[in-house]
Amino acid sequence: MTNVSKIISIYAADTSGVCSALYELGGMTVVHDASGCNSTYSTHDEPRWYDKNSMIYISALTETDAIMGNDQKLIDDICSAAKELAPAFIALCGSPMPAMTGTDMNFAAEEIALVTGIETFAINTNGTHSYLYGAGQAFAKIAGNFCTERKKTDKMSVNILGATPLDFSLNGSIESIKKWLCENGFSVKTCFAMGSDLSEISHAPEAQVNLVISSSGIPAAKYFYDRFGIPFVAGVPIGKSFSETLAQNLKTAVKTGKCLFPASERISSDNGFIVTGESVYASSLAAAVTKDLSMPVKVLSTVSDSDDGSLAKGDIICRSEEELEKEFAKASLVIADPLFSPICPKGRFSALPHEAFSGRCFSKSIPNLINADISGLLTQGG
Amino acid sequence: MIKIAVYGKGGIGKSTVTGNLAAAFASLGKRVIQIGCDPKADSTINLLGGEPVTPVMNYLREHDDEPTSVEEISKQGFGGVLCIETGGPTPGLGCAGRGIITTFSLLEDLKLFEKYKPDVVLYDVLGDVVCGGFAAPIREGYASKVLIVTSGEKMSLYAANNINSAVKNFADRSYAKVRGIVLNRRAVEDEERKVTEFAEKAGLSIVADIPRSGDIIRFEDMGKTVIEGDPECETSKRFFELAKLLLNDGENENE
Repeated sequence: MTNVSKIISIYAADTSGVCSALYELGGMTVVHDASGCNSTYSTHDEPRWYDKNSMIYISALTETDAIMGNDQKLIDDICSAAKELAPAFIALCGSPMPAMTGTDMNFAAEEIALVTGIETFAINTNGTHSYLYGAGQAFAKIAGNFCTERKKTDKMSVNILGATPLDFSLNGSIESIKKWLCENGFSVKTCFAMGSDLSEISHAPEAQVNLVISSSGIPAAKYFYDRFGIPFVAGVPIGKSFSETLAQNLKTAVKTGKCLFPASERISSDNGFIVTGESVYASSLAAAVTKDLSMPVKVLSTVSDSDDGSLAKGDIICRSEEELEKEFAKASLVIADPLFSPICPKGRFSALPHEAFSGRCFSKSIPNLINADISGLLTQGG
Repeated sequence: MIKIAVYGKGGIGKSTVTGNLAAAFASLGKRVIQIGCDPKADSTINLLGGEPVTPVMNYLREHDDEPTSVEEISKQGFGGVLCIETGGPTPGLGCAGRGIITTFSLLEDLKLFEKYKPDVVLYDVLGDVVCGGFAAPIREGYASKVLIVTSGEKMSLYAANNINSAVKNFADRSYAKVRGIVLNRRAVEDEERKVTEFAEKAGLSIVADIPRSGDIIRFEDMGKTVIEGDPECETSKRFFELAKLLLNDGENENE
């Protein structure tokens, strides 16, 4: 029963990750699922829903269509909608029901592309992976389909990879990262995918380096490295000292062409602070706490399936409520989303809301820690 | 009401056994429903003179809506047996197992049992218990007994063992229990010994021994069961004996 959470919440699912990653790119994203499932995404996982239009749809799969394997209906409906809406691309995502009936989403995508002439791709989601997997696959598909040529290279230009409100909310963090990059002599080529449209994103191969700010950016970063030799640096510029380190690493990556994980170059420590959450952000925060506050920190990566290189030796991937509770009991302070607090020792909790975990519950109090003083984390209490 | 599910390896003669058993029950004056639970939808064809009923899945596909009456998805065959076929999706697509569950749910909504008031319900289920859908006929409220049809062929006995194990897996639930084995002879060398050995090992009894007979094929070619074609022949007698045994079980359970 290690995967059962009796008290704490769960992270947004892979389909939400896809929708979030593609939200601003002008494509049509269709989740093949029963009608009504869009509300999970729109009310919990997407803060842009009421302010910014996007072609996010649910196919309204019926029980009969699932039993019959009536894939043609899905194909016809999407072709009909695409004719009217003329999206820049079409992304198809699976959910538990088509996963159980073995719907061939790749075939459906090929058929739709053939009929509409629009770039169409299927993303291998089934509703049981985390948002990071879905967003990661979506970013990789965008890169693979729309970032295929490198006509020039712009010196000291950088792409930001892995940006979704699920990890960074709409609290100005992404704008702060862009500002911080400019202050360090970089020009921002594109951001996957907040604040950049598809035509800007197609220029991503012109960058000299990629800054990966969440695990969801890793698959696209690997694509750019393998295809164009563009190195990446994984880290979020949190606090003052680690932001300086990260900027230096970006410059080193430009010079050497090597991929770097500066947040993992610290000593993870038991019995000190615990930072939870998505690996790249949590590890960066841990590095910032270590450097700026001189406190020993251990990261519990609570959403990743595996270590993508961001974690330090001694950090652990821990998603089981029982295991988390045991780890929290050893810590002098737990920095985590408020929905983890019921399994934390009283008086040793510092709230750091994470939209992918608690949705909009605490989104107004998510701090922008980019290149900022982080000592406030110690005084929030809990 | 007696409710029986008939399982066995594909092609072993489940539909032949079920159709003849239905015809035997009907000839003994019982109101019978036979529900074919196989995407091939050919379970009841020999009760219907070779004129098949529209399977439930075909109805859903053609009308894109559920039927509103039992009549739209059933047909009365020999002896008044009410014939229903679940049918299934196009091979290779969708989910046939879920189709069976949906059909059962639909039949409940249409109050099939309340309206038709059958004495006997027979479920003829596809080869093996491959997923939850194909176990649906043995769940509580559906069949209470399972008959496993087998010959002495190795693969048939292998499948019979799998089915018996699958039913045993549900021993702690109020699911159907295996009543016994129907030996459908296929002229395998030493056939009786092989099946008897299997039955003893599995703790099961052989409740019927159906001889290999040209009568079955001859009457099936005419769209009939043996019971309809020649109720006096040896094969028909074996089906009548089985039907009486099961009716007797039912009476003893009611006492």
